[in-house]
Amino acid sequence: MTRARLATPELVLLVLLVGELVWFSLAATNFLTLDNGLEIVRASAEVGLLALALTPVILTGGIDLSCGALLGLSAVVFGAIWRDAGQPIAVAAAAALGVGLLGGAVNAWMVAGFGRPALIVTLGTASLFRGLAEGLTGGAVNYSGFPASFLHLGQGRVLGLPTQAWVLIAAAALIAVLVHAATIGRALRAIGYAPEGARFAGIPVGRRLALVYLLSGGAAGVAGLVYAARLGQARADAGTGFELSAITAVVLGGTSIFGGRGSVWGTMLGLVALGVLANGLRLADQPAELAGVLTGILLVVAIGVGARRGRA
Amino acid sequence: MNRPLWVALAWAALLALVAVVAPAFFDPVNLRDLIVRASPLLIVACGMTIVILARQIDISVGSQFAICGVVAGLLAREGLPMPLVAAGTMLAGAALGAINGVLVARLGLPAIVVTLATLVAWREGLRFATEGVWVQDLPATFQWFGLGQDIGRWLIGIGAAAVWASIAFVLGWTPAGRAVYATGSDAEVARLLGVRPPLVIAGSFIVMGALTGLAALLSAVQFIDVQANAGIGLELSVIAAVVVGGTSVSGGRGSLTGTLAGVALLATVGPALTFLGAPAAWERALQGAIILIAVSAEGFSRVRRVKEQHA
Amino acid sequence: MTRRTMAVAFGLGLGLLTLGAAGACRGGGSAAPDGALTVAMMPKNKGNPYFVSCRQGAEEAAQQLGVKLLWDGPTETDPAKQNDVVEAWITRGVQAIAVSVENREAMSTVLRKARGKGIKVVTWDADADPDARDAFVNQATPAGIADVLLGHAARLSGPAGGEIGIITGSLTAANQNTWIAEMRKLLPTKYPTLTIVDIRPSDDDRKKAFDETQTLLRVHPKVKVIMAIASPAVPGAAEAVKQSGRKDVGVTGLGLPNASKPYLLDGVLDSAVLWNTKDLGYLTVQVATALAKGTPIVGTTQFPGGRLGQLEVRGDNVILGTPFTFTKANVGGFDF
Repeated sequence: MTRARLATPELVLLVLLVGELVWFSLAATNFLTLDNGLEIVRASAEVGLLALALTPVILTGGIDLSCGALLGLSAVVFGAIWRDAGQPIAVAAAAALGVGLLGGAVNAWMVAGFGRPALIVTLGTASLFRGLAEGLTGGAVNYSGFPASFLHLGQGRVLGLPTQAWVLIAAAALIAVLVHAATIGRALRAIGYAPEGARFAGIPVGRRLALVYLLSGGAAGVAGLVYAARLGQARADAGTGFELSAITAVVLGGTSIFGGRGSVWGTMLGLVALGVLANGLRLADQPAELAGVLTGILLVVAIGVGARRGRA
Repeated sequence: MNRPLWVALAWAALLALVAVVAPAFFDPVNLRDLIVRASPLLIVACGMTIVILARQIDISVGSQFAICGVVAGLLAREGLPMPLVAAGTMLAGAALGAINGVLVARLGLPAIVVTLATLVAWREGLRFATEGVWVQDLPATFQWFGLGQDIGRWLIGIGAAAVWASIAFVLGWTPAGRAVYATGSDAEVARLLGVRPPLVIAGSFIVMGALTGLAALLSAVQFIDVQANAGIGLELSVIAAVVVGGTSVSGGRGSLTGTLAGVALLATVGPALTFLGAPAAWERALQGAIILIAVSAEGFSRVRRVKEQHA
Repeated sequence: MTRRTMAVAFGLGLGLLTLGAAGACRGGGSAAPDGALTVAMMPKNKGNPYFVSCRQGAEEAAQQLGVKLLWDGPTETDPAKQNDVVEAWITRGVQAIAVSVENREAMSTVLRKARGKGIKVVTWDADADPDARDAFVNQATPAGIADVLLGHAARLSGPAGGEIGIITGSLTAANQNTWIAEMRKLLPTKYPTLTIVDIRPSDDDRKKAFDETQTLLRVHPKVKVIMAIASPAVPGAAEAVKQSGRKDVGVTGLGLPNASKPYLLDGVLDSAVLWNTKDLGYLTVQVATALAKGTPIVGTTQFPGGRLGQLEVRGDNVILGTPFTFTKANVGGFDF
């Protein structure tokens, strides 16, 4: 059975997180309030969705550098279908999800089907997806003016929590079941740990890999909708750099970049730690660059402490 | 069919298309400009090839590039003669590479995570330090090393060629080069054969850093001042060029010939598309498509597929 | 020493070193007495030299008025990050927020929220929706900017007119796209001899502007004028034209005087259009402080702008002035 207790990396992260909370409650203004906490969740939801779907991908020893670009493409397609094609919001949203899944399918086809290395495939698809978004809009078009009912997804609250928090919770539950409870989870870890062994053990490696990349694409589609709802606009550069933040959250959370080891709980902790860091520094009147420097240091310290003797 | 050959063919096809539609591309002045433009990219790509051959990766080169450029400008402004500026810049790059190298080789941390951390920390740190201000009021000897643009261009092109040739020689014909290939193929076996993988890995990052410093210098001396924030996205172009050229991200396989082909193709695509009249907004999509085509067009031998599957 | 301890020590040591070095290189910020008003000001992008110069003026005004200035924003033109910064300021509690808006719709939402909490909101350089802010510090209208730029292009290309190549910021940059749209509107009516033959992005990178200009000169050999409408692009485009030796190509654009000076002086760059960015930053802090202290803007016709004297107020717009053209003759008198 996959472990239920906290492993060392998650424990280290928890300590770091508590440290952040203590530090910022002293150094920053109005940090430790419920409103601020909810705002942190609201701001992290899109990266959170990407990070959650990235966890099983990295578990298999793969990576997806194209999820941020796919978020942008989905958001732009959403805007285009709604405004230019005059379709109702629900149809536009379905189109966005469809684009996300399609993008995931391209990744799945090349990585699982052709067996090409995920790093370079998703590097290529990142350029392709972002490029498609830029080409379709000429870069200049900015879709906005969405109806209030849609904006509620990104700006409203349901039962006291930001609406997208519920989406995030649902996604976390789904991915957690996939990674920790279902047999598929063990299959994914096996693929990450020893791909050849997994194949000989009868695991349908191609199908499993295809699933995780498809899921990553779907998550990017949902994240694109949340983004458009939160900001009230959709432009070709939406989601720039999100994949790096997502990867940071996942790795911070203890998932090994080589595959075979990791947890959804760790990813959520990593996400929160990053969100709290950025938010706390802002409230402490520190410039944005400091968040970047400290994130880098945090990453090195966290993986350094949690590192095991693995492949170097 | 081997990858560098396929890439060269793709390049030839692109050039053929351009020759028909927009022959002005082949004006000697334009070709010269392209070579000068591609030279820093080639130098960084040589370093990246070594790193990837050793089964590592370095996504922080863009940030190293930015820092080294600023260092070059600051040293020149302090009045140092250009040879010392060059040495200082390469030293700065090597120092940054050493940081990556120690974290990866000595502490055994995964290269992609380490260089992700340094990518962010260094770029933001540079912004924090410079506050966006360019390095200006440089002495007249800075631009083109004070030698004028004709000699300066030759220097840059020859510099890149020399770097490529020397690294190719080292990789192909010296024990150090064989050690890199060995470490990348199978570190344990390499160790048993007397190679010291941690040293090789640390060395590859340091060389990468020094070469990035050189590239940053050669890029910076084309202007009269230094941007605070150069090289954004450089890592993606360089990695794409190296991998498209046939060097495998699982290590141990690849060559500088492939890297040269990859750099040639990727450095040509942008300008070629402009000559062909493709709207600027579609360039990135076309570049992505080219990378994907280059990566998928290879023999579908099962062994290779399995080996590369989880790089 | 275990590997873990080494990692922690290394990481922390590196961190402290980085912060120390970076902090030492930095200039100081503005200090203000406790209990002072806090004005939070955000550029579109902290790394752009244009905004760096706005900051100088802003710091000057903050010191003069005795207010605390918070200067922060995205380090690259990231659409989402501007929102996060304003949200943080709302949580933190400031008296006034001044934003150069990159994303009109996205920012308007959060700015309305700020106004709802009693924070005074000023936009500068680029506007939000009128109901999302108390005042807009307007340096020049987009139509005015387009007109001045085309005027220079027309003068450079001579009575026969000709082709213009535009080097813009990034393809998604809202201000640049607005100016281009305004230029397209003016072309058929006021400047019929000019045609825009291509628009290339520079992504606010000087080197990219240089590369794109080089290519543009070859792809469109008959081009008469290169117009660089982003401040990092002007020196890049000018350098490319200079290195090409094409004396028949004129260069103009939107640029800062210091970066443009060498090229203005040696004649490659004909003119750089801008406004006094330091004054823009200065005026913005003046307006924000006045609003925070309760002085209304709407309903007045003039605003006392400190060392800038009396400035015109049109509705809820405080007008800095008209676009200014830097030339070889006058660029020596400016330092930003």
